[in-house]
Amino acid sequence: MSQIVLSNIRKEFGGRRGARSWTALNGVDLSIEVGEIVGILGPSGCGKSTLLNIVAGLDNKYEGQFTIQGKTIEQQIAAGFRVAYVFQEARLLPWKTVRGNVEFALKASQFPVSEWRDRVDRVLELVELTKFAEFYPQQLSGGMQQRASIARAFAIEPDILLMDEPFSALDEMTARHLRQSLLNIWSAFRTTILFVSHNAIEASFLADRIMIMGNGPGGTIREEVSMAGVQRPRSYEDGDLFEKSKAVVNALRNHSGRADLVLA
Amino acid sequence: MRISASSIPASTAPPSDTVAPASPRSLLGRPRLAGLGPHASDALISALSVLSIIGAWYIGSWTMSERVLPAPHIVAEVLYQAMRSGEIWLDIGITLGRILIAFTIAMTVAATLGFAMGLSHGASVFFRVWIVCFITIPALVIMLTCYMVVGLNDKAAILGAAIPIIPILAINIRDGVKGIDPKLLGMAKAFRASRYQRIFEIVAPQIAPILLASARFGLGLIWKMVLFAELLGRGDGIGYKIEFYYQMFNMKEVLAHALSFLVVMLFIEVAILGTLEKRIFRWRSQ
Ligand SMILES: Nc1ncnc2c1ncn2[C@@H]1O[C@H](COP(=O)(O)OP(=O)(O)OP(=O)(O)O)[C@@H](O)[C@H]1O
Ligand SMILES: [Mg+2]
Repeated sequence: MSQIVLSNIRKEFGGRRGARSWTALNGVDLSIEVGEIVGILGPSGCGKSTLLNIVAGLDNKYEGQFTIQGKTIEQQIAAGFRVAYVFQEARLLPWKTVRGNVEFALKASQFPVSEWRDRVDRVLELVELTKFAEFYPQQLSGGMQQRASIARAFAIEPDILLMDEPFSALDEMTARHLRQSLLNIWSAFRTTILFVSHNAIEASFLADRIMIMGNGPGGTIREEVSMAGVQRPRSYEDGDLFEKSKAVVNALRNHSGRADLVLA
Repeated sequence: MRISASSIPASTAPPSDTVAPASPRSLLGRPRLAGLGPHASDALISALSVLSIIGAWYIGSWTMSERVLPAPHIVAEVLYQAMRSGEIWLDIGITLGRILIAFTIAMTVAATLGFAMGLSHGASVFFRVWIVCFITIPALVIMLTCYMVVGLNDKAAILGAAIPIIPILAINIRDGVKGIDPKLLGMAKAFRASRYQRIFEIVAPQIAPILLASARFGLGLIWKMVLFAELLGRGDGIGYKIEFYYQMFNMKEVLAHALSFLVVMLFIEVAILGTLEKRIFRWRSQ
């Protein structure tokens, strides 16, 4: 049985008090197995973040079914299930240090205080922020803040990890390092990962399956590209991976209403 | 007791009900002089600022007769004598007591209203008319009404001082509460932070600067209100004394009493609110 099951999800924004309404998602079907890595790609504004918010349980005003192993997300959370979210923006608490921000998540997930220090040190090492543990977010660069936000998500050893363009603010080498860290964590804990990316190579490197979404209104999954054929551990130089990423770009072009664009 | 409005000189008209800029950030932006450490340059600018005020006062006192505007050192001498003989302390104590009670009432009511209006659309619509009404009624009318309804006593004086500033503070607090970042609350929700964590680690740190800015602003307004209420209908306190000496055309005493309170309020501002501010904004000053 699939772990995450979304069927026929429809999400409409606005419409109250005379505001204009916008159908962000319409007819989204997606099933994800335990331990699977699924990437979502699609044009800006097609509803990727909206979809992640629904899976995170942040948004429960939608139509359609969404279950985790047959139960609602609230039931699963009550049973000790953990979801971590790397938001599109870092969303750190400005009045807490990097350490304090990670500890916030540890406390929320009810890790015993005695473990905090070790756990924080470990994840900060992973994202290369050890030296900045006692810094406040405003003293960090945008990419460093993003890494702190990634550390916060890794720290709680989630069952489901949601990531919204987590590496987009980083230089390629740092991004590669973090992708590798992500895969290390994944192979250790078999976390289910659902991520959004705008980078076809990145998505191909990480994912088991890539979902291509089409333009809104009523954004939905138009095409699925399976990465099953590309062996792990993967390399960016792998020819198979390159071919797949070209297929992904092609699919993106076809479904974004820009089929006239010539690919280089 | 004198309650006739005609006996009130124009110069003691109540402060205008303007809404203060509630932005706590603007209170913190400290310009720095090149070449000096931040603390040294701050101290230097503060010293210059004090000197310039005293200088302006001296210039004013030279152009006018001493009966109208006595020079700073004369006023300081009168104040020193009053403090030595001890009689002024009782009035300071009485006025300070009224200020603290009125301030507590005003902050409590304004915070309740501000939170209700910031969090609930219904409450915001409901209280809008109340706020507009009470912001428009002159403080003088509110005070006189309080004295008429409650009687010529301390309760009326305190209510009369508190009520006019409640709507102003409520608006400030409402705007602050509306400014709470929903994205951080979303983050807390995604990580399943407890209610305790959401209140104390997400909401409180965002509310504290708003309450501090409002408290500052409210304190500045309320002490003028209390003085005015004392002048209108009490037989003791600094406000009454100022009115008393004014009737006798003794400007030295009028200014000395005003100066005494300036010192008290400066102490509250710097020692109490300043310390609170440092605690609240520790993370910003890094
Ligand atoms: N709170 C909201 N109120 C109204 N409309 C919204 C809201 N949030 C999103 N939308 C609309 O829903 C659509 C999808 O938004 P979403 O943030 O999911 O896009 P996205 O695919 O994540 O885009 P991007 O790649 O630019 O981040 C957009 O058209 C947006 O205008
Ligand atoms: Mg998005």
